Amino acid sequence: MTTPALAHGVAVSGARRPSRRRWWLIALAGSIAACSSALIAHWSDHLSEPVLQVTLLNWTTLPYIAAGAIASWRRPDSRFGPLMVAAGFVMFLSSLQWTNGGVPFTLGMAFDLLPAAILLQLFLAFPSGRLERRVERVVVATAYAAALGLQLSKMLLWDLDGRNVLALVDEPGAAFTLEDIELGSLSVLSLAGVAVLLIRTRRLPYPLRPMVAMLVNAFALVLVMLAVLLVAGAFGWPAFETIRRITFVGIGIAPVAFLLGLVSARLSSSTLGDLLVQLRTHPARAGVREALSNALRDPSLTLAYWLAEFGCWVDANGQPVELPDEDTDLTTTLIDRDGEPMAALLHDPSLADEPELLDAASAAAAIAVENERLHAELRARLDELHGSRQRVIDAAQLERQRLERDLHDGAQQRLIALSLELGRLGRSLEHDLDARGRVARARREVAMSLEEVRAVAHGIHPAVVSGHGLAVALESLVARASVPVRLAVELDGRMPERLEVAAYYVVSESLANVGKHARASAARVQVARSAGQLVVEVVDDGVGGADTERGTGLRGLADRVEALGGRLRVWTPRGEGTRVRAELPCA
Amino acid sequence: MRVAIVEDSLLLREGLASLLGEAGLDVIVQCENADELRLKMDSYDLDVAIVDIRLPPTHQDEGLVAALDIRERHPGVGVLVLSQYMELGLAMKLLADSAEGVGYLLKDRISDVDDFVAAVERVGTGGSVVDPIIVSTLLSRRRNEDPLAALTPREREVLELMARGSSNQGIADELVITLRAVEKYVSSIFGKLGLPSTGSESRRVLAVLMFLRT
Repeated sequence: MTTPALAHGVAVSGARRPSRRRWWLIALAGSIAACSSALIAHWSDHLSEPVLQVTLLNWTTLPYIAAGAIASWRRPDSRFGPLMVAAGFVMFLSSLQWTNGGVPFTLGMAFDLLPAAILLQLFLAFPSGRLERRVERVVVATAYAAALGLQLSKMLLWDLDGRNVLALVDEPGAAFTLEDIELGSLSVLSLAGVAVLLIRTRRLPYPLRPMVAMLVNAFALVLVMLAVLLVAGAFGWPAFETIRRITFVGIGIAPVAFLLGLVSARLSSSTLGDLLVQLRTHPARAGVREALSNALRDPSLTLAYWLAEFGCWVDANGQPVELPDEDTDLTTTLIDRDGEPMAALLHDPSLADEPELLDAASAAAAIAVENERLHAELRARLDELHGSRQRVIDAAQLERQRLERDLHDGAQQRLIALSLELGRLGRSLEHDLDARGRVARARREVAMSLEEVRAVAHGIHPAVVSGHGLAVALESLVARASVPVRLAVELDGRMPERLEVAAYYVVSESLANVGKHARASAARVQVARSAGQLVVEVVDDGVGGADTERGTGLRGLADRVEALGGRLRVWTPRGEGTRVRAELPCA
Repeated sequence: MRVAIVEDSLLLREGLASLLGEAGLDVIVQCENADELRLKMDSYDLDVAIVDIRLPPTHQDEGLVAALDIRERHPGVGVLVLSQYMELGLAMKLLADSAEGVGYLLKDRISDVDDFVAAVERVGTGGSVVDPIIVSTLLSRRRNEDPLAALTPREREVLELMARGSSNQGIADELVITLRAVEKYVSSIFGKLGLPSTGSESRRVLAVLMFLRT
């Protein structure tokens, strides 16, 4: 078996969260960047409306740094947070073009259009921080190539009044053409990004919360505006400045959506509440997977159970499951108990970015799985107990049958043979009256012995039940009852012997109770087969209030009936008669 | 009278055979299981078969099945069933169609040699024999509005003997009364119980038993 690629254990600690110092460092660096941009703008000789420009720059960069910092604190495993921080700082670099010349200006100029590529990457990398598909990687790489490569090429051809140190020649015409190509291609790439985004949103492995999804889609519009802005720049539209400001406002708000999407996309108290409720109402194995899949919004989620005795993983249906290797699309989260693996969640890797959710879900699953395991164990024990109880009853029954048979074939037959001999002897003593009288007395003794042995044998096992069935056996029982009994037996054919014997005892014990305790004037015995059960009912019109624990033999009857998987119920309200009902499964 | 005995206990089988032989009956078939009897029934001309109700191989209902079988395939042969237990249900099963040539007795009765021989002869000549235990069970059965309460003690005795399968002559001998008196009692009993007159004595047994059973 391959070693599973572990994303988390059950206990995920906060140790991996970035330290407070790193947080402060980011804040400090952000402040320095903001102040630097303000100072650069202040000293700039080439900047119109410096306050506005500084404000716009900070508006489009600081939110990314802040949101990135928060995101990497809340989601230490997500790469999206650091990506946002990096994007914010890189975008700051473009402020260097406000300097008056030389290397800083050239550097700022070189990074002038980089934010377009960075934004594209951010939008496409949300929420995992990775560009999962080839098409995304191609679009973003091309954007970087255009934003940097074409920009640098352009800068080789244009010295911008000597401020650009990279300029080899000064051919503004050619530079403008290159710039048009650069802006146009970035615009097209932005639109391509929008297309990829829209297609991908529909194919997310799990749906985002509707509101967040809507926000993210709305901010995808930022990319459209960016595309429009780039085209406007290329064609030198008069509305360029207005479009630029609107676009920048949008760019500045986008991190909020990202943050919302990252932090609360899936984890919410209601999700976990739903999960627990679902696990409670569907304790079966399939229910656990279903509930987890819903709570984690990952339809592909698999729940694998560890079978220690076989050393393998299986799904809810007992089919073997291979835990994925590290390089597959699925990530494994182990659920263990006392260090022993118990179950494993096979889920989409993006879930690894949300350790709290995964932890909570794993914990809930652990409870459910443990619960389920205990249930299964209990069921197995009950089955075992039931089985052994039945075997004990069956063994006792066989033993009783054997004893009865031995008595019948042995003592009873011999006594009858003896009685027969005595009879013949008596006949041969025609004239000896005294001897005849003694033989007759001996015969009576033998007859009484026979009667007693017969009673004992019948008490041990009612042979007539096994021999001739319940209906025949009940006839004598009812005829000898101490009150008038109406008997109704609705059975077609014989039942398994142990059921017939149990039913016989239910009737015989109940009728004996009617005679001893009920003071009834009539009773009714009903035996029928209904819905896979042999139902035996004995009802009397006596005084009721029978003691079901002592003296009535009802406890023993209940044991006998329950050992066969049946149920014995007794209604005995004072003054309203007694009803004994046995239900014996006979599927 | 030609008799067959089916009984798995050798001791009893032979005791029974000598007893009946001494009484002048012709025991021409002795066997220990029902299949053997079925085979021999075809080649022997019998008047009565004495069948133990519990027979090999399973000792369950082989005897009863064999008895019912003989009744169907050889209606002219009487069947006397012997049993260690007296079961009303079995008696009714045995007599279900007719009581003619049928007997059901507790096995102990064989020691009462004269009565037993008489019973065998009665069944062999188409009469009926029902064990007193069955009859007394039926007579003592609790009833809501007991129609038997209307009978005089003498009528009750006559009813009991009728139920056991006695003929009018048998009843007259038993009670030491005249045949005419028996006939009077019988018609009075039938009147009180609301039973239609049946004519034949063996059909009368069934009618009385069926009446007492409910």
